[in-house]
Amino acid sequence: MAVGSYEEICADAGAIEVDRRFADKILLPGFVEGHSHIMEGIVWTMPYVGAGDRRSPEGLLVQGIRDVEGIIERLREAADKLSDPDTPLFAWGFDPLHIGGQQLTRWHLDQVSTTRPIMVIHASFHISNVNTLILDRAGLLGPIDISGVVVDEDGRPTGELQGIAARFRVFRMLGGNPLSANLTTDDVNRYAASACIQGVTTITDLHSDLPDNTVDLYRAAAERDDFPIRLVPALASASHSPDDGIAKIERLKQENRPKLHFGIVKLVIDGSIQGFTARVRWPGYHNGASNGLWYVAPEELPRIVERYHRAGIQLHIHTNGDEATELALDAIEAAQTAMPRPDHRHTLQHCQMADAALFRRMRALGVCVNLFANHVYYWGDSHYEQTMGPERAHRLNATGTAQRIGVPYAIHSDAPVTPLGPLFTAWCAVNRVSSGGRVLGRETEALTVAQALAGVTIGAAYTLKLDHVVGSIEVGKFADFAVLEEDPFEVVPEGLKDIPVWGTVVGGHVHKAPGE
Amino acid sequence: MIAAQAAIPMTVVGGFLGAGKTTFLNRLISEAEGRYAVLVNDFGAINVDANLIAHHDGTTIALTNGCVCCSVGGGFIEALGGLLDAGGKFDHIIVEASGVGDPWRIAEIALVEPMLRLNATIVLVDAARIEMLLADPQVGATVRSQFERCDVVLLNKIDLIDRLSLERARDVVEQVCSNACVIETSQASMPNLASLHQRPARSPFYAQPCAVDSADHEITFRRWSYQRDGQFDRSRLALALAALPPELLRLKGACRLAGEANSALLQMAGRAWSLTDAGSEESSGIALVGIGTTSLPDRLELDDILDHALA
Ligand SMILES: [Zn+2]
Repeated sequence: MAVGSYEEICADAGAIEVDRRFADKILLPGFVEGHSHIMEGIVWTMPYVGAGDRRSPEGLLVQGIRDVEGIIERLREAADKLSDPDTPLFAWGFDPLHIGGQQLTRWHLDQVSTTRPIMVIHASFHISNVNTLILDRAGLLGPIDISGVVVDEDGRPTGELQGIAARFRVFRMLGGNPLSANLTTDDVNRYAASACIQGVTTITDLHSDLPDNTVDLYRAAAERDDFPIRLVPALASASHSPDDGIAKIERLKQENRPKLHFGIVKLVIDGSIQGFTARVRWPGYHNGASNGLWYVAPEELPRIVERYHRAGIQLHIHTNGDEATELALDAIEAAQTAMPRPDHRHTLQHCQMADAALFRRMRALGVCVNLFANHVYYWGDSHYEQTMGPERAHRLNATGTAQRIGVPYAIHSDAPVTPLGPLFTAWCAVNRVSSGGRVLGRETEALTVAQALAGVTIGAAYTLKLDHVVGSIEVGKFADFAVLEEDPFEVVPEGLKDIPVWGTVVGGHVHKAPGE
Repeated sequence: MIAAQAAIPMTVVGGFLGAGKTTFLNRLISEAEGRYAVLVNDFGAINVDANLIAHHDGTTIALTNGCVCCSVGGGFIEALGGLLDAGGKFDHIIVEASGVGDPWRIAEIALVEPMLRLNATIVLVDAARIEMLLADPQVGATVRSQFERCDVVLLNKIDLIDRLSLERARDVVEQVCSNACVIETSQASMPNLASLHQRPARSPFYAQPCAVDSADHEITFRRWSYQRDGQFDRSRLALALAALPPELLRLKGACRLAGEANSALLQMAGRAWSLTDAGSEESSGIALVGIGTTSLPDRLELDDILDHALA
């Protein structure tokens, strides 16, 4: 793109034709979502039963549901639309923490149907609730002592399933997990549509085994003019040895093109805070829960990090708890000491509990951070009351600290865990208010509107090493814009999330967001 | 649905990083009694003897003895499902849990899936490091959970530590899992599945009709290991073995005999015993492992009986 006044641009680009269609709109750099997942394009094949409002890839507003009766009602409507009485009904997005701890039991789901299998997948994707029919057919109804098959005080299974054993059995009985079937073009298109609706023009798929089928779909999509996103998939370290991962990245980079960027590797160290699987330092979980899980052995981590670091590959490291963050920094420090590499930009993803000292280490080591601003809104109350307690909840996702100390940062949604929408993510970082109305660390950790918008544009582009081509409106970069109906610098900060998005421009191609 | 008696036995092998899982798996598949499918739930851990490999395509290794070894990384559930869909192609499924995973969580799959039955959960423990690992604030809880609920603990790498350290290692292991059968091993002397005599799983659980004989549910064992630097006298050994209590169910291991060049393999089951030439001059001294019922007498008492047979 060229930037400037009419005369200035003509001087560089020769005669130009003026397109005034956006004269009454506001153009921002296309938003960059630095941490989200292709799953966002898959879940919308099922009804949504979460508490917060969402937008479907068709641009429709899907109302959140805040009580169990409402969930039963929506499931009934969805079941009525299925013609075959035996087709399983799957739904997604439920989280009891968002509806005051109300549980969804098999007896509730039996009110929808006792003859059709019904499964509700939680927002975390690790837990599900099923009706009695599923438990019965899977042989999980009797007296049972299997981890993850939750029972009530009388020892009766409630229909909540958590562990790998129950999941294996139930999905086998149902004929497969709809969320782990082979990716399709429709899934990829839905992901792109969801991005367009939110003004996103560059988006990650931040954890993928990248099988051939997925790579083929991404390549084909990226070649289409009507495909409105630049995709940045991250290879999952967990499914590859470092040697295989390095070789695969080298191979995949041959496929890179303007709308497809392979090259980064994702490494997951611990679990989630609200699931009590994040690794946290003293004083541990506020409610006394035992410490979380390692997804990589602490002594193996430095070896993995060093291998990728030496190969010149940028790592995106998932650390939720501060013990995991510290371990990641130890590993990066060792790798940097063994082989100093300028501008490696290894990035900590989520990094929700880091204190100022950890941010100072990040800066010293050249590490970037992508903070989970949406968590402040969605789980801020749980963190205050249960997981972290008041003091640590106030510095949750410490964007202000990152800004002051000078750690390059971005903010993200982790969609579909929380809704995709950079304006909402920016709103979270500016206002720092929980869904229950509690203000968390606003004085010290809130960003200004300008800082928050940088976090969803150039800041995120920097963490993906794409800041030379996207993330700002600058001569020579791709002509990628978010087209807004209102100016984010004019609206009150509380209104940031409500600014309507008209659509996007990607590489000069105009994409009007699908909608009502 | 497939009848329970046709269920494929599944063995889960766990253990923390560096405990020796790869060597053990190698031993299991190279001495397989039938077609084993091995799922390695971690990357890069396949390391099969090169002369056993018939075909290698990156994540899957086909062996000349009909076994298949597959590194599954993230897609474990799909890979295991695929094996079951393949029908009766395999006689036994072995799953290696990841170095930080809890093998019991995987073992539970075989308790709820009618096409599988749980053979055993075997966890390897590095005898030299276990005490330190259990006390480690970062990984202690992870390591403990790995063998809290298992059938067999292979207390491995015993050749790398002295006797006192071995006893301490055994003590800390038995404190975590008093019910499991603890077998002392070294990288050079790993058991195979046959020698672990395929006991039914210890699972306290579950209405899985006719898959497991309920009488076997509560079987628990006590271990006894006997190690000396010296050698036995043949005739005194016969007397000593006869004096061992009936609660001792099995005794097995290598020993030197006075006046004989090669070391001998001692095997005793019930009252019957045999001494065969082990064909090796290398091993020195005596190293025996016994299995008994829970009322097996104190190890010092047993040691004393065999000490009478020393030359
Ligand atoms: Zn994520």
